Amino acid sequence: MEFGNSGCLSEDGIHVDMDRLKKGEVNLGTSIMAVTFKDGVILGADSRTTTGAYIANRVTDKLTRVNDTIWCCRSGSAADTQAVADIVQYQLGLFAMMNGKPPTTQTAVSIFQDICYANKDRLSAGLIVAGWDERHGGQVYSIPLGGSLHKQSYAIGGSGSTYIYGFCDANWKEGMEEEDAVNFVKEALKEAIKWDGSSGGVIRMVVLTEKGADRHLYLPDTEYQVRHE
Amino acid sequence: MPGFDFSNYNRNAALHARGVPLPKATSTGTTIVGCIFEGGVVIAADTRATSGPIVADKNCEKLHYISPNIWCAGAGTAADTEFTTALISSQLELHSLSTGRKPRVVTCMTMLKQHLFRYQGHIGAYLVVAGVDPTGTHLFTVHAHGSTDKLPYVTMGSGSLAAMSVFETQWKPQLTQDEAVALCSEAIQSGIFNDLGSGSNVDVAIITDKKTTLKRNYIKPNERVPKLKSYIFKRGTTAVLNEKIIRKEDLGNFVSVHELAVEETGDKMEVDA
Amino acid sequence: MSSPFSINGGACVAMVGKDCVAIACDLRLGLQALTVSNNFPKIFQYGDNVFLGLTGLATDLSTVSDLFRYKVNMYRLREERNIAPKTFANLPFICGFDSIGCIDFAADFIVSGTATDQLYGMCESLWEPNLAPEDLFETISQALMSAVDRDALSGWGAYVYIIEKDKVTKRLLKGRQD
Repeated sequence: MEFGNSGCLSEDGIHVDMDRLKKGEVNLGTSIMAVTFKDGVILGADSRTTTGAYIANRVTDKLTRVNDTIWCCRSGSAADTQAVADIVQYQLGLFAMMNGKPPTTQTAVSIFQDICYANKDRLSAGLIVAGWDERHGGQVYSIPLGGSLHKQSYAIGGSGSTYIYGFCDANWKEGMEEEDAVNFVKEALKEAIKWDGSSGGVIRMVVLTEKGADRHLYLPDTEYQVRHE
Repeated sequence: MPGFDFSNYNRNAALHARGVPLPKATSTGTTIVGCIFEGGVVIAADTRATSGPIVADKNCEKLHYISPNIWCAGAGTAADTEFTTALISSQLELHSLSTGRKPRVVTCMTMLKQHLFRYQGHIGAYLVVAGVDPTGTHLFTVHAHGSTDKLPYVTMGSGSLAAMSVFETQWKPQLTQDEAVALCSEAIQSGIFNDLGSGSNVDVAIITDKKTTLKRNYIKPNERVPKLKSYIFKRGTTAVLNEKIIRKEDLGNFVSVHELAVEETGDKMEVDA
Repeated sequence: MSSPFSINGGACVAMVGKDCVAIACDLRLGLQALTVSNNFPKIFQYGDNVFLGLTGLATDLSTVSDLFRYKVNMYRLREERNIAPKTFANLPFICGFDSIGCIDFAADFIVSGTATDQLYGMCESLWEPNLAPEDLFETISQALMSAVDRDALSGWGAYVYIIEKDKVTKRLLKGRQD
């Protein structure tokens, strides 16, 4: 690791050098989204992670399981979001064992928010949490940088999301069929990947319904048309 | 006690703030790679260690032992890769002893990422973790900030771009062991020749469910040709002002033993109960 | 203000020969350009044939060498044997450390100090495998003397230790005093 020379010593002798913080960190310059539909929720993401201009991983899985039917989309620092997701996965596993039943999506997002808010000055984590549970069906929550929590019918995030606000607003319909919802996510992410340099690779999706989690994979080789795996 | 000593932090911060550059640590401007094949995994590394523009070590070891079936390749700050892998290796051995199970690669990877995340990137260890355990063959990368990736083939270090170009053009699914070893050493050699921070020889480690084979200096493409002329100086060239020879058998002469008189006054110390 | 590593100056080098090793240092102690002493050895002995060469900030050299002496003495009392394991005591072995503890196991030579760059050049050209103790002495001496002559912060004489299985020879070299 290289250190800068731009140090300054403040009056109390505490040394602050912002250039030294997190230089060369792995970033998820990302396009992520989650939508509700008739039977549950769908999470979607591109697969590019970068260190500066270099693509450190072109087939990343940014959709992370924290419980059987509660998943999250990660954007921002790869290290921070993995650490947060690992803690939540542990907490929810414990919750399920102690209570003998799976946690609700609300329980999960509450733990997510606690961590993101308490450590807001140390984390760069932009999360979208989506889940299906017996009581509330499919739900989507967004936890952006400061650690606030927003319940939405659909959420988009990451650097690529700026390009698709218009697309999503124009094409969004409440209570879609699964096939239409998958297409909505796919078309939105295709645009985000097309216009955002920090997004790219394959499109990954997870469909969460009463039946559990169903993974989708679409490759750029077939213009994201054919479902693989 | 394990861990870091921060007692010089303020001194160093004050020196740094007044324009004193930070000391040069030996860094491994490095090429390290890993690749999964049918029945195991292979990791490889170059052997150059640098300190700024100076080559500090022409044949260092960048493949670190974690457990018999798990090995790590390290890039970044040399001391950090050395001590981090040693620390995790020790913890994993104790964990394996207390659970009575063979160590797992995911356990190793998780311990590494949690340790590195705690230090927020200040421990400059960039690692390729590879191994075979009862759950199968695994290959991970762990970055200094604590993020991890799981891929069939990986590269890290300053030569990672050169090495990745080899993998991206020549890699195919279901490689044999020999093909994987050849591909990894080819990737390392592209780092050795195209990246200034990497050089010298290729080290390879092959891990299968049966055994681990470490091939130190598997390829030596940069051997120094013997000097055609000897530069040995004639004995007596150097002017000596004085000379002292200490022989082992004479060492006793430098030690004197004095018998101390025993004083009979006061209580005697109880020697035996 | 200059770096703590170059305020006092100094150079140190170690080499492997046939059934022997050599370690040598210059004798200068300076404060930037001002020479304070021409008799400041930088090699410390920790056993019959265990030597440590240190370069850098003089105050840290005293602190570190004393701390090691304490640790070695405590080790000797605790273990009731010398610090050098038998195998190491009988093997010619040298290694180097960077300032945060990374070990450089070398089969040829190790250098340190403000004359590092010069020493690397000298050793790379003069050193060859299997030098006899007498030849190793000439090689390490000439390498060190030539290197410190091109470093303003090192020099003013030198000590050279030739360490063999059964004896240690310490020689004071005649060097430039400018």
